[in-house]
Amino acid sequence: MRILIAVLLAMCFPVLGYGAENAAGNPEGKKIYDGWCAQCHGYKGDADSFTKDVSLPKPRDFTFGSFKFRSTPSGDPPTSEDLTKVIRNGNPGTSMPPWSRFSDAEVKAIVEHVKSFAPDTFAMEAKPIKIGTPPKASKELIEKGKAEFKAAKCVDCHGNAGRGNGEKGWQDDFKTDWGYGIAPADYTHGWELRNGSSLEDIYRTISVGLSGTPMTSYMDSLSDDKRWALAHFIKSLQLTRQLGLALKVKKTDNLPSKPNDPAWEKVDYMDLPIGGQLMFDTRDFTPVITNVRVRGLYTTKELAILLQWTDKKPNDGSDGKPTDSIRIQFPVKKHEATELPYFFMGTNKAPVNLWQWKASDMDKVFASVAKGHENVEPMEKSDATAMASYDDGLYSVVFKKELKSAKDDPVFEIGKFIPFSITAYDGRNGEENIRGAISAWYYLMMEPPTPLKVYVFPPVISLGVLIVGIGLHKKLRKNKRG
Amino acid sequence: MLKIYPIIAVIGLFLSIVAVLRKSPFFNFAGLLIFIYGLLKSAEYIMPALPAQVILMYMAMCVFSLFIYFSIQEETFKAFLEPMRAVLADDNKKFLRLIIVFAALPLFAGYLTYVKVKPTYNPPVSARIVHPEPPSQMDFKGKTMNVLGLENPLRKDTANFAKYVEEGKKIYYQNCFFCHGDDLDGKGHMADAFNPVPLPFRGTDTIAQLPESFVFWRVSKGWRGLPAGSGPWNSAMPSFEDFLTEEEVWKVIMFIYESTGNKPRSW
Repeated sequence: MRILIAVLLAMCFPVLGYGAENAAGNPEGKKIYDGWCAQCHGYKGDADSFTKDVSLPKPRDFTFGSFKFRSTPSGDPPTSEDLTKVIRNGNPGTSMPPWSRFSDAEVKAIVEHVKSFAPDTFAMEAKPIKIGTPPKASKELIEKGKAEFKAAKCVDCHGNAGRGNGEKGWQDDFKTDWGYGIAPADYTHGWELRNGSSLEDIYRTISVGLSGTPMTSYMDSLSDDKRWALAHFIKSLQLTRQLGLALKVKKTDNLPSKPNDPAWEKVDYMDLPIGGQLMFDTRDFTPVITNVRVRGLYTTKELAILLQWTDKKPNDGSDGKPTDSIRIQFPVKKHEATELPYFFMGTNKAPVNLWQWKASDMDKVFASVAKGHENVEPMEKSDATAMASYDDGLYSVVFKKELKSAKDDPVFEIGKFIPFSITAYDGRNGEENIRGAISAWYYLMMEPPTPLKVYVFPPVISLGVLIVGIGLHKKLRKNKRG
Repeated sequence: MLKIYPIIAVIGLFLSIVAVLRKSPFFNFAGLLIFIYGLLKSAEYIMPALPAQVILMYMAMCVFSLFIYFSIQEETFKAFLEPMRAVLADDNKKFLRLIIVFAALPLFAGYLTYVKVKPTYNPPVSARIVHPEPPSQMDFKGKTMNVLGLENPLRKDTANFAKYVEEGKKIYYQNCFFCHGDDLDGKGHMADAFNPVPLPFRGTDTIAQLPESFVFWRVSKGWRGLPAGSGPWNSAMPSFEDFLTEEEVWKVIMFIYESTGNKPRSW
């Protein structure tokens, strides 16, 4: 209903394009822009800026006159509301944050100044498309969307599972009008969808496309109900991110035999947000892996840890670029106190144990002991093992190790919180050694089997109270009669 | 927010008044206990909340003293026990008996036992000290400096102030904004990855509380310079002496003060 009213209102007051009289920009807007936008978008709006080499995706060049995030038909400029929305909400997964500090009048002034960088583009009249009431989600609708996802060739770029790993998306000519490469969106990562992750956002993106990119408008080629079905299907792919500090690892009789075994899906998970390694030279300002999902299981003998992350284009190092890889880190010794080794590769005083898996050696673990990032010694012997799979854009790597530990091994004690951290490498992004995406310290805890007393004591006490109640009842009845 | 505890207190008081009027010491007892519990919990609206342990102790004392009060006269005590006796024995209380004595009480006792015996596991907590104690001396790329009383040499060159701030801005956006944020609010696009999360520079409780010398020490030495109590092993703050010159560190400090409208502490 609210959307209907909004649409009706929008039809009553069409948003007019700004004419040449605004081309000079807005002095108030310029002041704020120079202070808070120019660092990335450039003082001249051409994205020749401080952050051009340290951000990915790169900041938008406004002078080019092509704007990805619009509510208007393909080829039209964005409306003032579209630009306002980007400033207010930011673009998830990029370095464009939501700006809430500025007043509406200030944002309006910024928008006018931004428009002045591309006067020709904004000389046109811009009118948002109509967005009707979305149909309710249903199994059938999602199935229909899934069929459409194949039929409309979305899979060619976005991949079967929507992780952005489609064949076509990784050909050399897959570029933006700005001239640089671009990765198809990973629909499972709702938190980094640039144009928003709500159903309406997805519908709008499918309908009008993203200007300047290979994502075209499907307004004319797909009917309205097909676009809604697609939006519902794409929305259904989004992962539910579970952030936390500690992963509880449950006991099992048998570990799943493969890393992509469906049995893993029933196991509790924790998501680790990861960011570039920024402490040591050479720093990684532009990591592309943003999330690693961790699961764990243990038996009387072994601990198994499953790490899963999206990599849109797998890389085993055979093309001259580094291999994709992931590494898990534990303190070498048992850490009773809260004092830990340094979260990235330890220090001389407090070494860490590293297990690294590489796509170039699928079933091997490179175990080492690190005493700081410049002091890494491969371990001669380690009984840690790995198995891995790559399915539709998703790497799954299981590390396994016996619970008993030798010298320089981490100590896996049941019921204790064992610190661990992760480094993930996307070889195609040139990541290796200390350039990679890293996590903070987290904990995993092998949950001891529930003690017997938990099952025994409560019923016994309940029964006891019941018996006392019945006893008192009987006694008082007898007294009454007697 | 609906304030539930004062409401509980009022209900308890009401119950005990009705009980006095109807001469039922048991419900008077129950009403008073509910009233006191409500009051104790309501304290959190005007002062720091009382710890659960303290409330438990107060309640135990109240139960004990009220029990003495109601059992001191034989007549009152008999009346006090009457509702319990009635629920246990009277023919017309069959339904109530079934619910309270044979179901609710045993289940509640079982539940309490379960809560008591169930093992709970909590990860270790690491405290964060926002303003750790700086050392009296520090080493910047081999050069020894006194932290206390260290002054920003660029501040004296007032003619070039704007130039230094602008140069500081460039340094900030090539080294700091990933974590400390585009808007210097601590919400950079990589901030989520780290724990503890990066500090904001806006507001009055971070750099506004500090002299520039302290900030110079934090920026230059980063995680390595933190005392053990501040958890250097968790900090992702780089030692910027590895990447920046002394002058560049001062410039970026000028930028973070200037752009947030904060002034370095000078007292």
